[in-house]
Amino acid sequence: MVMTSEQRVEAGEIVGKGRSPWADARRRFFRNKAALMGLVILGFVVAFALFGGYFAQWSNEELDYNVMGQIVELGGPSIESGHYFGTDDLGRDLFARTIQGTQISLAVGLVGALIACIVGTLYGAVAGYAGGRTDGIMMRLVDIFMAVPYMFVLILLLVMYGRSITILFAGIGLISWMEMARIVRGQTLTIKGREFVEAARATGVSAPVIILRHIVPNLLGVIAVYATLLVPLMILTESFISFLGLGVQEPLTSLGALISEGAGTIAYGTTWQLGFPLLFFCLTLFGLFFVGDGLRDALDPKDR
Amino acid sequence: MLSYILKRLAIAIPTLLVLIVISFLLMHSAPGGPFTSERELPPQVLANLNAKYGLDDPLWKQIGSYMWGIVSDFDFGPSFVYKDRSVNEIIAQGFPITLTYGLLSFAVAVIVGVSLGVAAAVRHNSLLDYVAVGVSIGAQVLPNFVMAPILVLVFTLWLGWLPGGGWQGPEYWIMPVIALSTSFMASIARITRSSMLEVLTSNHIRTARAKGLPERRVILRHALKPAMLPVISYLGPAFVAMITGSVVVDIYFSTGGIGKAFVDSALNRDYAVMMGVTILVGALTIFFNLVVDILYGWIDPKIRY
Amino acid sequence: MKFRTTLASSALALSLAFQAQAADVPEGVTLAEDQNYTFWLLDAIKSMDPQINTDVEGSDVLRNLFEGLYNEDGNGELVPGVALEHEVSEDGKTYTFKLRDDAKWSNGDPVTANDFVYSWRRLADPATASEYAWYMELMQVENAPEIIAGSTSPEELGIRAVDDHTLEVKITTPLPYFPQMLVHGSTFPVLQSAVEEHGDDWTDAGTLVGNGAYKLVEHQLGERVVMEKSDTYWDAENVVMEKLTALTINDVNQALTRYLAGELDRVDIPAGQYPRLKEEYPEQAVSTPYNCSYIYMLNVGEKGPEALKDARVRKALAYTIDRDIIVDRILQGGQKPSYNWTHWAIADFERPELDWADNMDQAQRVEKAKELMAEAGYGPDKPLDLTLQYNTSEDHKKIAIAASQMLKQINVNVTLDNYEWKIHTDRMQNQDYDMARYAWCGDYNEASTYLDLLTSYSGHNNGEFYNDAYDKLMKDSKTAEDPQPLYKEAESILAEEMPIIPIYHYANVDMIAEDIEGLPENNVNNTWYGKDLYRTAE
Repeated sequence: MVMTSEQRVEAGEIVGKGRSPWADARRRFFRNKAALMGLVILGFVVAFALFGGYFAQWSNEELDYNVMGQIVELGGPSIESGHYFGTDDLGRDLFARTIQGTQISLAVGLVGALIACIVGTLYGAVAGYAGGRTDGIMMRLVDIFMAVPYMFVLILLLVMYGRSITILFAGIGLISWMEMARIVRGQTLTIKGREFVEAARATGVSAPVIILRHIVPNLLGVIAVYATLLVPLMILTESFISFLGLGVQEPLTSLGALISEGAGTIAYGTTWQLGFPLLFFCLTLFGLFFVGDGLRDALDPKDR
Repeated sequence: MLSYILKRLAIAIPTLLVLIVISFLLMHSAPGGPFTSERELPPQVLANLNAKYGLDDPLWKQIGSYMWGIVSDFDFGPSFVYKDRSVNEIIAQGFPITLTYGLLSFAVAVIVGVSLGVAAAVRHNSLLDYVAVGVSIGAQVLPNFVMAPILVLVFTLWLGWLPGGGWQGPEYWIMPVIALSTSFMASIARITRSSMLEVLTSNHIRTARAKGLPERRVILRHALKPAMLPVISYLGPAFVAMITGSVVVDIYFSTGGIGKAFVDSALNRDYAVMMGVTILVGALTIFFNLVVDILYGWIDPKIRY
Repeated sequence: MKFRTTLASSALALSLAFQAQAADVPEGVTLAEDQNYTFWLLDAIKSMDPQINTDVEGSDVLRNLFEGLYNEDGNGELVPGVALEHEVSEDGKTYTFKLRDDAKWSNGDPVTANDFVYSWRRLADPATASEYAWYMELMQVENAPEIIAGSTSPEELGIRAVDDHTLEVKITTPLPYFPQMLVHGSTFPVLQSAVEEHGDDWTDAGTLVGNGAYKLVEHQLGERVVMEKSDTYWDAENVVMEKLTALTINDVNQALTRYLAGELDRVDIPAGQYPRLKEEYPEQAVSTPYNCSYIYMLNVGEKGPEALKDARVRKALAYTIDRDIIVDRILQGGQKPSYNWTHWAIADFERPELDWADNMDQAQRVEKAKELMAEAGYGPDKPLDLTLQYNTSEDHKKIAIAASQMLKQINVNVTLDNYEWKIHTDRMQNQDYDMARYAWCGDYNEASTYLDLLTSYSGHNNGEFYNDAYDKLMKDSKTAEDPQPLYKEAESILAEEMPIIPIYHYANVDMIAEDIEGLPENNVNNTWYGKDLYRTAE
């Protein structure tokens, strides 16, 4: 006999399959066309960064002496010369360099956002949970840090310690942890009052464990949303640093550095030098924005 | 409200002090000094220079006399690199310039951004909406150091409508303002749109509509104010971002503003100028954040200071 | 020494006879209505004070606001400035200058010998703390080192005003090129009363008092400098250009765009663009030699890598770099590849014949380099790792990248380190490098301005190249009848020891508006004066 699913549950055949909020969110996300498109775009860019290298005929640092000196005439994109995206002013293959630049830019974005998230979340959760004077002092400190013109400090750091990738990643990440800390603190204050936290406290669970085991997991939604919005910010910041000449060292490059070089030569007939890196730069950011918006819509259903 | 403001201002002082000390120490730990140059100076000449600018004093003494100079005379010291000028003079020349195009950019970004966002929200899912979103995202991802040379190429070289740089009158303000305001305008549009969408489906708007109020009144009088909350909290970080954006504007449009003065001072190890600009920007940031918070409190009735 | 005195004064007398008097407008040329000249500055002017200024751009502006003892004409020859002529004593150590009596300051005061005495003392005075104080030492003026060190008062400087229009200078050792050194901005006079009245503000537009052909009308730091023709200049009636405007534009591509839009009359051409611009605008794109040399300096001192202490390795590095590619394909601005240190266009200088430059082509050089490396014990199984540091700039980056790729041929793995200017310089001065990009610009038009650098006592010898024979040659050259053969020998030593890798000699690559005339075409220092310029009507 055919039974309805409710009857089958009663009959003990299907263990109650409730729908978790995560599943809800996932459904909402995949119904959002813009978010899906963003995901596809991002997927393409990541695939390009990871696998594009197999198609490249040149490395990212070899100089093509045949083209050097006559970039305008011979350096354009072409299948035969193997320079699919053309070459830069020195005769280096732009396809290979764009791939490598995308790798670095994505890495900076992800690592930077990760650092901002971790530092910001821990700081904000601790402040929010501790409450009272500790909270007050910690947030005052955040206010002070927010008054520091961070870009300037970053420039100083890069100038002082030379151009290491670690400083770059760390520095860019540390620019944004404060906003994250504030948001996390706000959310923590709300979550703190919930019953399960009270229960945990009543049973004697220590504060660090409560924070890590109970509070942080409930923050993940908010964190995820802001993280995806942070990644584009990190990439843009890195491009500005490269523009100032303080970004990654040769022979490594980033999309920001490539764009900066290309912007200088648009008037000289080598528009591909700007075009291709800019294309991938914009695609990456587009993808991230759409996915970020989609995540926010999915996790915060009152946003239409 | 008043006590809140006073409390915030009171915190500003230690904030600035911390800022001064951090910047000072960072600056002095960087290798190279203001007089490091290709022609290595004979030790005696270098000694004379350091003596004249007090750079051979111990660090605590330098920072002490620096702060004393500010407190007693409002004198931020001499520039070590632009030797004819004091920091006060450099800031007095550059700051009004940055302020002019900065405020203009801000105004343009807010006015155009909010209008665009509201229009898109009100006509949700129409062509206008999609175009607005697309254009905003596009404008947000285009870095201003790409936009600036393109602007000059188009408006100065090809069309000949605007001067390529300098600061001699209102027509020199146009391109800097465009270059600086575009990405903020886009962000504000997007934030306004999503916030407006949320507000438009809220209960009190439904009530207003149910009461039969004309749509325009509903939007402008009832929806706009609460929808502005996220925009206002965005203004704080936007301000800081605009200052860093002004560096690009200064470089490409030769405005003589203080954004470039800061970057140069870091690269040249011009300690006094760097400190002066840092303090200025820090003070502005604090002030601006205070204004934003007050605005926020004025709009959101749940927040009481 | 009598021979040299006669030679010197007759040379000067000859040049006086053919002196160019301000703007030399040839017969039949119509002048344009608009006599404004707008030129480009890369960065803000650091100081308008002749004794404080340290850079070339500053000098370009100061040369129009002030005038020194002598000026240079379009061929780099000396012509009278405030001084009409001079006499040298038998021993070559005392110069007596006769100053013109119609030179005036912009406030109407006459220019006197005392003004020079004041300004020269000021240059050396520790209280002024000038970064160019060493120039007074370089000129070998009596007591300069002691004054700078603070052990004597500035009044003891070997310069005095015999009367209002006669100036006497005493130097410690005879210098054949002493007069050429007087073109430099640090030696310009300043009016004591003006400086003392306004203190640090005396260089502001409105209070600046100068004796040049122009006066300072406006100075917006980082934006523009405006100068207008001065009526008090002794040759004002021959000055055609009415107004000079300098615009600061920090990005060279941007500057080129604005030149093409008509906002500038002169701009530098970015690397690699010269061939294209020469084709499109043949009358405007110009390349002239410029008094600077570009090298990679090698650290051969204590802190340097072991490998670089071996001259064979150094020579191998130098031989492998293909200068023609750098000059013809990267820079493309009419620069010349260099195989020696001193700039080829320096007056009277001729480099010695060098085997590796004249008798080998690039393929042979690379072969020889491989041999040398093998001899020194390096090869495919024992590669050499070196770092090459350069300061932030597109061009330096391109050349460094090319060089590092080229050096792979001889199994040298080069790591590129880009440092911001101050750090780069600091590291060089502390010998914290293996190979470093370096350029030296001559202060005057004579070979010693380069060759002195690599002596052990120069104070600029960042590579710590200490060679007794070289030192002796340079010391002797100061007192030799004809220093040129000694210079040749010095260059030969450099080629043998290769403490530096010469890359190229600079050229000035500019776009100059077609209707502007009067800019120097053969002056290796590119010393131009606004008073020589005029705009023709086309």
